[in-house]
Amino acid sequence: MIISGLLMFLAPILIGVSGVLLPAAGYFPALGFTQFSAHPALSFFDTPGVGTAIWLALKTGLIATVLSLLCCFIILTGLMHYRGFALLRRTLAALVAVPHSAIAIGLVFLLAPSGWLMRILSPTVTGFTSPPDWSLIPDPHGWGLIFGLMAKEIPFLLMVSLAAIATLPIRRFENIGSSLGYGRLATWMMLILPLIYRQIRLPVFAVLVFSLSVVDMALLLAPSLPPPLAILVLHGFLDADLATRLPASFGAFLQMALAIAGIGLWSVAEAVCSYSLQYFQRGGWRLHILDRCLPVFSTIAIIPIIAACAGLVAAFLWSIAGSWFFPSALPQSFQLIHWQDVGSYMKLLQTSLWLAGGASFTALLVVLAWSYAAPESTLNNRWLLGSIFMPFFIPQISFLLGMQISLSHIGLDGTWLALIWVHMIFILPYTWLIVIPARQALDNRLDDVAATLGASEWKRFTRIHLPLMAYPLGTAMFIGVSVSMALYLPTVFVGAGRINTITVEAVSLASGGSRGPAGLAAMLQITIPVISFVIIHWGLRYRFGRFSGMQSGRLQ
Amino acid sequence: MICQRRHAMIQIYAYLLLGLLFIYPAQSAHFDSLKPAAKGQTVYFNAWGGDAKINSYINWAGDIIKQRYGITLVHVKLTDTASAVSRLLAEKTAGRDSDGTIDLLWVNGENFAAMKRADLLQIQPWVTHLPNWQLTDPVALPAILSDFAEPTDGKESPWGRAQLVFAYNSEKLRTPPRSANALAQFIKNNPGRFTFPQPPDFIGVSFLKQVLIELTKSHPSLYSPVDDADFDAVTAPLWNWLDAAKPNLWRRGTAYPQNYPVLRQLLGDGEIDIAMAFNPADASAAIARGELPDSVRTYIHNGGTLANVHFLAIPFNATAAEGAQIVANFMLSPEAQIKKADSRIWGDPTVLSIPRLNAKDQAGFMALPRGIATLSDAELSGSLAEPHPSWIPRLEQAWKKRYASGQ
Repeated sequence: MIISGLLMFLAPILIGVSGVLLPAAGYFPALGFTQFSAHPALSFFDTPGVGTAIWLALKTGLIATVLSLLCCFIILTGLMHYRGFALLRRTLAALVAVPHSAIAIGLVFLLAPSGWLMRILSPTVTGFTSPPDWSLIPDPHGWGLIFGLMAKEIPFLLMVSLAAIATLPIRRFENIGSSLGYGRLATWMMLILPLIYRQIRLPVFAVLVFSLSVVDMALLLAPSLPPPLAILVLHGFLDADLATRLPASFGAFLQMALAIAGIGLWSVAEAVCSYSLQYFQRGGWRLHILDRCLPVFSTIAIIPIIAACAGLVAAFLWSIAGSWFFPSALPQSFQLIHWQDVGSYMKLLQTSLWLAGGASFTALLVVLAWSYAAPESTLNNRWLLGSIFMPFFIPQISFLLGMQISLSHIGLDGTWLALIWVHMIFILPYTWLIVIPARQALDNRLDDVAATLGASEWKRFTRIHLPLMAYPLGTAMFIGVSVSMALYLPTVFVGAGRINTITVEAVSLASGGSRGPAGLAAMLQITIPVISFVIIHWGLRYRFGRFSGMQSGRLQ
Repeated sequence: MICQRRHAMIQIYAYLLLGLLFIYPAQSAHFDSLKPAAKGQTVYFNAWGGDAKINSYINWAGDIIKQRYGITLVHVKLTDTASAVSRLLAEKTAGRDSDGTIDLLWVNGENFAAMKRADLLQIQPWVTHLPNWQLTDPVALPAILSDFAEPTDGKESPWGRAQLVFAYNSEKLRTPPRSANALAQFIKNNPGRFTFPQPPDFIGVSFLKQVLIELTKSHPSLYSPVDDADFDAVTAPLWNWLDAAKPNLWRRGTAYPQNYPVLRQLLGDGEIDIAMAFNPADASAAIARGELPDSVRTYIHNGGTLANVHFLAIPFNATAAEGAQIVANFMLSPEAQIKKADSRIWGDPTVLSIPRLNAKDQAGFMALPRGIATLSDAELSGSLAEPHPSWIPRLEQAWKKRYASGQ
């Protein structure tokens, strides 16, 4: 059982990684390199700006993760019990579903020197009649990329934190804290947040590794001279001179090492934080003064979320703009020419929909089958869990390139089978995190009662288990669709250009200069997650809403 | 010497062509025999997809091809043509000699040379079999037989012509700089108002070549393989020019736009004063779409600007090679070429020889509106030949070495 699981989840990744490791070590028989050598490594390190590229990747990845986590915790501490939080919560669910590239397109439209924000402020506030020659988005230090990652990762971390909070008696902790005279911030920082963090550690690592090696957002938001490591590697693989694939493979290996180093650094930081937390705890500081600053902190913490939403509005404006020259705050003329072109995107949308739906549903079936067929000990097997969560820890670029070569070898690249499989590998960890706990939480006594009434196993599954797990299963589908919609690099490499999604199209349009079509593509990218959200959310509510006990695991 | 060699080559090709005329009916029959096989095929056309107007032109062609030949044309939008070459290599590496993922590729210059070197093209020449090949004139336009001085060997079909053209906003800039030296002066006097697409972007590298050719007064060794030349000595003027310009470039030369549509957008936003494109009608088309203000005009340098031809090639392992040939032939038809030359659609100059067309098609070309910012043929007559393609990777590397660290 474990072996088959390992083969299914781990094999493709291992094949991919080895497809990178061999060329990295100088072995690539097809190009006539049959001797292992250090040459790829040497020539990779000889790439102009490579040191800056590595530093940039490490810096942006770590800072983005730290700030995202910080903002997430501040928002929870400061806003959780406010009335507006329900609205924020729904916005978050929607933002989690918006692909990275759509967020990035929106942020460029909003924050560039010629962006919407500058247009609104000019010339009245700034006095500019033409955009300033400022290095905003992309800026040389990668702050634009950090901001973009935050806009995407804060909602994600908040969502997983809220799921963790559902299992904790928050009110009781707060009462204990305040009855002992601790401020709100102190109570959360010393009592609640450590408990939440323990539960969301895995997603945090996923965020870290993703941020260290992000490609689609970096293409739009990161500096290009030199770009972060992952982009440098990608350029190497796409170079017309085929021999550059060897050093690029070494770069992909280096990216993997960087991810491991990042996790290592993070673990050290965890230890330091834990130690200083104990110091705080022992110190008995009530930190009431900080509570006054909490509204300010919270406001700052939701800026990336607000910016992401405003960026999407800017993308919408560009999709209907005729001409819109600086510094006018709104388009000078409107036209529907881009939207009339929507028919030509229909095929891409269909592909995205089938792919996202197919891969999410397959992942759901696989996890469900496992949860029923395998004994509990198997489900907790370290190796199995390790292989399922592998996509969280290995940067995409480090195994997808090798995977493409292997798939091409057996003629599977550019096929639906391969693409659904790869998307499923990326969706599976999320499905697992949602479905397995729901399955384990099922009340066995209901099962026993049904069995004594003569219900067969299948009937018990369809009539009791499925309805009881309807919300978590729906959530898993929704998350799966969102994850699949956001996948850029896997689709580019495994789809081999034959199977294209709206996300790949959006990145290519946005890296060209046509703002109208790019705005439209960003809008279309959002449609599928939004539609699936509505269907799953309202569908479940319509069907099961009257059973008050069935709210657990429902979409936030 | 080089000129002589080139003339000799042209002569040889001219004779070949003459011979072809006599066997034309046989070729046409050969072409017709492709149609049954091509019917129902899906042709994956890998073409740079960064420009919306080009994409919608390809869309238009796809609709007609579907109707007329029953072939489904799928535009695989590339961000960089080199990635397709790289994919083909991966397929060759994997021993995938048929059922490849690319059927037709928009290509020229360095990428074509790389494909030729690695045997990534169809083994048999196919271009001269195309019925519409008869409407071209390799004597008048030798570039359709030699792509950046690399013989095409009948393995890529000409699609369109390109010439480097600069665009400026005539309301903000009275007299644009019409030479590399004048441009250097302009950059010095107007800090932050000029930039170019970041090499290895195609237009970016073309700009480097343009400046290099101008500064070295078309150094003869640029037209033969780079290994035969003293690269450092020949290119020294270019690096001096760039070193002097860099601190006064847009963003002080620490960042560059990624391609020419982004550059054009910067002109539209008013961030820079001069943009460039490899298409004389690009600015007019952008004005029509509302992306550039209607005060934008174009110009070329007094000594002429780079000109070349771009092509369609079929890879060695194409799944739908028959369909791809029919698509290439359609793309070469007067109907498709007139549409493509229309600046409201794309504005890409034709590779056909106007005198060889029938009266109706000639009239079709004559009736095309010249865009508001498009130069006349006479004004565009100053053209510079492309250097040997082997110079491109060396220029890219050298540029990277000097400027890619962003310092």
